[in-house]
Amino acid sequence: MPVLHDDDRDPLDDRIRELAREVNAPPATPREEMWQAISARRQAQPRRAPRPRWVPWAAAAAAVLAVGIGIGRMSVPASNRPTTPATSVADAPRVNPTAYRLAAEEHLAQSEAFLTLFRASLERPGDHRLASATARQLLAGNRLLLDSPAARDEATRRLLEDLELVLAEIAQLSPGSPAQDLDLIRDGIERGDVLSRLRQAVPTGTVPNHGAL
Amino acid sequence: MNDRELIGRVLAGDPGAERALYDAHVDRVFRLVYRMAGDLDRAQDWVQETFIRAFDRLAGFRGESALSTWLCSIAISVSLNGLRQVRRARDREVGLDDAGPLGHQPIQADPDLRTRLGQAIEALPDGYRAVFVMHDVEGYTHDEIARALGVQTGTSKAQLFRARARLREALADFARE
Repeated sequence: MPVLHDDDRDPLDDRIRELAREVNAPPATPREEMWQAISARRQAQPRRAPRPRWVPWAAAAAAVLAVGIGIGRMSVPASNRPTTPATSVADAPRVNPTAYRLAAEEHLAQSEAFLTLFRASLERPGDHRLASATARQLLAGNRLLLDSPAARDEATRRLLEDLELVLAEIAQLSPGSPAQDLDLIRDGIERGDVLSRLRQAVPTGTVPNHGAL
Repeated sequence: MNDRELIGRVLAGDPGAERALYDAHVDRVFRLVYRMAGDLDRAQDWVQETFIRAFDRLAGFRGESALSTWLCSIAISVSLNGLRQVRRARDREVGLDDAGPLGHQPIQADPDLRTRLGQAIEALPDGYRAVFVMHDVEGYTHDEIARALGVQTGTSKAQLFRARARLREALADFARE
């Protein structure tokens, strides 16, 4: 492909550009009218009550600890496991960082499988309640991972953040959702290249445990 | 007040800040959306949708691009989806047998160059159209377009190059006059 420059223009381009500015020339912005409509629609939306800041952190920390310790225990040889229950957090075995990576890979593989199925389901009309419920489950795992050491890796964090937006949109679907919502979700998946990034992030051979699916 | 302060106040629930953010950006968003929609009612709907989505997602705005570019990316996304819906609705009305091809609609003979150009722009594939409108009509840079459309700068340049070529081709007989 040739190197393209802004001045790679035919003389006709200037005339086209000049005329194009007269095509669909915008009228004055109807700002008040639009603002009224925006305000009305926003007021009609159910507002989420702000949660205390500590709640998600505490929930995430507790769940990550539980998941992490669970996976960490699995990664400790049986012969090294304590024979008596731990009595305090300080006594708990140190969580193997590999466990977080494995948990992230498993989550990303599940999300990839889910989004592939979901995108295919958009081709035919139907009820997306099951997809919405599945997205909520994945969203919960996604948030835990975002707060875990797995998100220290910049690329993984960004992928999880973009995935969060898509999952949150699917989770909000209801039988009465307008078709435009589905288009916007599809567009979100495609424009953010979420699926191909998920595929790249999931090592070959990772078969998702279909717990959430 | 800069964008960062404004966003902070909106997220803190200040309704005045929501309006200030809207006022600061609505003209640019409206111009772009109107150019894409070519119809006042549709443009108004799409601008409203843009701001509603922006307010809903503001907490996720990471500040990696200017707020105006981020809003523009939402506006373009809403517009492209809207155009797809308009086209689907048109196809349903016309019936599949009578519907023309999506990408290359035949340009009707019309003595008015501006009308022909309008038809030619409307017949451009969505990506080409967005880049042409943003760059050549509204004056966005390739960098801004790339960020808004989520593509590489080179893709934006290539699409502009092809869009211009399509338009030249559509208006070739005028050029010979």
